[in-house]
Amino acid sequence: MSEELRMSPRETRGKAGLRRYGMVIDLRRCIGCDACMVACKAEYDVPLGVFRTWVPYRVVGKYPTVKKQFLPRLCNHCDDPPCVRACPVGATYKVEDGGFVLQHYDRCIGCKACMASCPYNARFMLPEHRTRTNITSVVDKCTFCYHRVIQGLVPACVQTCVGRARVFGDMNDPNSEVSQLVARHATQTLRPEQGTKPQVFYIGADRNMTEYGRNIYDASPEQDDERAVFNRNHKV
Amino acid sequence: MLDYNVFHTIAWPGAYAWYFFVIGISVALFFFSALSWFREEFQPLRKSGFYLSFVLLVVGGLLLISDLSQPMRFLNMINPAYLKFDSPLAWGSLNLITFGIASVVYLFFMNKGDDGLAKKAAVIGALLGLGLPIYTGFDLTVHQHRPVWNTPLMPVLFVALSLLSGAAVASFLAKGNEKLMVMLRRFMLWAGGATAAMLISLLGTTAYGGSAAEITFMFMTSGTMGMIFIGLGMLVGLAAPIALLLAPVGRQPMGVMAAGVLLLVGGMALRYAILIGPQIVHTYY
Repeated sequence: MSEELRMSPRETRGKAGLRRYGMVIDLRRCIGCDACMVACKAEYDVPLGVFRTWVPYRVVGKYPTVKKQFLPRLCNHCDDPPCVRACPVGATYKVEDGGFVLQHYDRCIGCKACMASCPYNARFMLPEHRTRTNITSVVDKCTFCYHRVIQGLVPACVQTCVGRARVFGDMNDPNSEVSQLVARHATQTLRPEQGTKPQVFYIGADRNMTEYGRNIYDASPEQDDERAVFNRNHKV
Repeated sequence: MLDYNVFHTIAWPGAYAWYFFVIGISVALFFFSALSWFREEFQPLRKSGFYLSFVLLVVGGLLLISDLSQPMRFLNMINPAYLKFDSPLAWGSLNLITFGIASVVYLFFMNKGDDGLAKKAAVIGALLGLGLPIYTGFDLTVHQHRPVWNTPLMPVLFVALSLLSGAAVASFLAKGNEKLMVMLRRFMLWAGGATAAMLISLLGTTAYGGSAAEITFMFMTSGTMGMIFIGLGMLVGLAAPIALLLAPVGRQPMGVMAAGVLLLVGGMALRYAILIGPQIVHTYY
């Protein structure tokens, strides 16, 4: 006996006739070159100090068996996004066909409710002054390169990934590469307990990176220094 | 260690805590003014309490607008084409506006001398006002991934904090009226006791929560935030005034006013710590 999966009205996974774009990041292939960050910065003129995608890493093990654990991060374009629910003026919305979570920049009032609601820290406030772009003082985030995808291209970070660690496609198409990867490999998502149904899947992610680690109890002096500089620049 | 991490800013800065503080006092003063129609002791607060409530409401509204990164777009919040009722902020903005309208109506009838309608406007205004601290707490509660915020205690805690800070300010408006001071002292003790009970249970559940909650507990009880939350908020601003009110001197008007000063310091410190503390952990991940 099978029972149909009950979903919230916003969710579109498995819905016939609708695409549901997602990304698989195969961490066995990630070499930490940061080309994805650079491509994203170039594509959107992302200002200094903020990121649509970023690649934190940890160095683990003891010499000589040490390795870097990368965890590329970006907006998870959740199937049930809390930011959409939090926005009081509909500035954040979800595109039904494709599942992109996007921003109406001209509607955003800058209340930062979406930033507070995002478990992934994917959102940031754009600065008041920008050199080449006149979108300022509103909340911004990764768009899964909506403007490229609707023209049949893949997101800039996927296009540039030298190790082909990032794979993008329609999760609702069982024959797509992303669907095949998720079906054949053990994958992890970030903060699955929050019920947001993130659409960024990781292969080979380390729990030290995906969970709230206790390493900040004894932060390294370098991390403390970086934190102090960040606080100074961001008036925390 | 050669780790690389990208830090993140907190979403809601300290300015919001000032808004919580100001609007909490405004609502409580309106409540005391409305209470004056039913309890003789509150008569001295009918006009003075209301006028200060109205001024603080305007100040609170301006604080809220000025904290938007696009202040001129605050009208989007009341634009029916944009307003989205899924968001607690949308309900909050409507609550704020209706409370403002009720305040104006109350002012009109009170100055006109129409006691019957003024009393009705006072009751409606007080109920709408009650919604504001509830919405403030609810606004934090809905963020399911944030320890401390994501607890049903938040709306109740903000109601108690509102009564506490409001009673503290009212003690200065009472001009030594003994009957009123007795009532305000009772409000301070009951609201203070309720706040203390909620904070203790909040600390307990946070300390024994998951790793995010545990780290949040660490941030809120150590360093500068620990000084603000535990030192200023719980000891100086809550335990000390309760002890003062229970002492013989706490029955004198001066003692109640001294407790009021401490409660105001504590009220602000607690709101600040509850707003900022649970956001710190996420700036690291």
